[in-house]
Amino acid sequence: MADLTLTGIRKSFGGIEVLHGIDTVIEKGSFVSLLGASGCGKTTLLRIVAGLETASAGMVQIGGQDVTGLPPESRDISMMFQSYALLPHLSVAENVRFPLRMRGIGNREEQAAKVADALETVQLSAFANRKPAQLSGGQQQRVALARAIVSTPKVLLLDEALSNLDARLREDMQLELIEIHRKLGLTTLFVTHDQDEALSLSDRVILLEGGRVAQEGAPEDIYEAPQSAYAAEFLGAANLIPVRIGPRGVALLPDGQSLKVPDTMPEGPATLAIRQEDLVLSDTDAGIAAKLKAQVFMGSRTRHVLDLGGHPLRALSLGRPGLTAGATVRLRVDPDRIAWLPPADQVRAG
Amino acid sequence: MVKEVPLWLKIAAGIFLVGMVLLLLGPLVVVLGISVSESQFIAFPPQGLSLKWYAQVLGDERYLVSFRQSLVLALIVTGLASLLGGAAAIAIHRRAIPGAGALATLFLSPLILPTIIYAVGMLMFWSATFGAVSFLTLVIGHTVICLPYVLRTTLAVLSESDPYLEEAARTMGAGRLARLWFVVLPQCLPGLAAGMFFAVNISFDEAVLSLFLRQPELTTLPVRVYGQLEFSPDPSVAAVSSIMIGVTVVLLVLADRILGLKRFSEG
Repeated sequence: MADLTLTGIRKSFGGIEVLHGIDTVIEKGSFVSLLGASGCGKTTLLRIVAGLETASAGMVQIGGQDVTGLPPESRDISMMFQSYALLPHLSVAENVRFPLRMRGIGNREEQAAKVADALETVQLSAFANRKPAQLSGGQQQRVALARAIVSTPKVLLLDEALSNLDARLREDMQLELIEIHRKLGLTTLFVTHDQDEALSLSDRVILLEGGRVAQEGAPEDIYEAPQSAYAAEFLGAANLIPVRIGPRGVALLPDGQSLKVPDTMPEGPATLAIRQEDLVLSDTDAGIAAKLKAQVFMGSRTRHVLDLGGHPLRALSLGRPGLTAGATVRLRVDPDRIAWLPPADQVRAG
Repeated sequence: MVKEVPLWLKIAAGIFLVGMVLLLLGPLVVVLGISVSESQFIAFPPQGLSLKWYAQVLGDERYLVSFRQSLVLALIVTGLASLLGGAAAIAIHRRAIPGAGALATLFLSPLILPTIIYAVGMLMFWSATFGAVSFLTLVIGHTVICLPYVLRTTLAVLSESDPYLEEAARTMGAGRLARLWFVVLPQCLPGLAAGMFFAVNISFDEAVLSLFLRQPELTTLPVRVYGQLEFSPDPSVAAVSSIMIGVTVVLLVLADRILGLKRFSEG
């Protein structure tokens, strides 16, 4: 059963259309990410689901009921804001109780029990009587999360919910979110611009580009089989190489070298998407030659910035940098790890 | 390196500071001095030391009636000004009405317009339209003058408030009234409180408008003081003034305590 159905959602601001007809069905209990660059319309779409914006056209259904014309307070949702949006004059417990109180869920004792439960879930029971200003950013975030889950809404909306946290806290919160989602099974729509977050948290990713769905699917599928240069670049920052594919699975690279690709790829001009981690620096003389321009040490991995006849390439390898800049290196690619994209995408890939 | 402040500039700044403090506090000291004088006349430095003028003032029915009238007026005006000013601030802050910016300027104009001009205009307008002035006229006049203070202080706190709080409240099921009570009013409160403090003081001290809209059965305290000075000046005027200064200081301390403590508990 679907908890959230969007049909032909369009939105214009002052005559400029920012959403060009979004259709999607989100199954009960799933965790779906709306991913995209800033300005792609993902936050607008989330706000339309919440009821904070009105769609110019289309229909929003929550739990099978048409809520398109309903204000946010009449929708069975909750939303977590990037700025936390805690009520500063209320205590942590009162903040968490707020949605129960407003929606008239349970009597005082039942509400207190739910609040205690929610605070325990986010491990903040000891802070129930504090004011939000007395908590750290990470703790405020968890209060906001507790407040969002306490009323067990049909749909939980998270707007860039982890973006204000530092890297370490963010990772903790991601794990916590996964854990809470597993425990409560709330249908969740998560807006983010961070592909790692989208990939690690979601059952399904909806990739938006310029107000349209660019691609939609399981994180693994989108990652491994991008259907556009935008998808390839956005999820995992793939290399996009303009080529001409000849007969018998050989592609002609921009600098004239040839690369083995699967026989199934159609002949003619194309763009190949190759992930950074799939470009392997080779010890032998086999493979395509490229000039090493720089190496960036990133702790567990090293990024190599390469030049292939004027075309920039990036490769990721484990371990530390061991080569000298300016050297010519050999690169190997497993043909099965190469994704084929139409050549028209070259223009947009820039 | 920070350039050293030249000595002459330091001295000039010191003189300026002392001059400012003297001009601000000097008149108050003079008034306080006169109020404890034994003399029948307004004279400074005081001759002798006595509290007899305080005793006389506190026993004088006319002063007490005026004090009560001024207080009632100030409280009604403060209530009205905070209600209207607060509502106007919320509407203007949200740009909920067309021409919000122009309206804000209009509401703030009594701060710039000389009160005497407004007072003359109000007297003529009221007489021509409604006939004799009344307590209501004074309430309206004072409210117009006090409203800008509430409007400004409330607009100031609203402009610093989190714009997403109300949206968040909506997603939690809060309807219009609940949002007003739980989100908007708490956001306005520090500004409203500061504005009310100003309004009480301004209305209580206001003399020009009250003089023009004077009527036989209504003499506010500043008007009473003014009349006393004009016709039979004696140190009782200074005693009244000293009491008013004292009340203002107490209000100031209270306001600072309450508002200051509030900041403290939130920060």
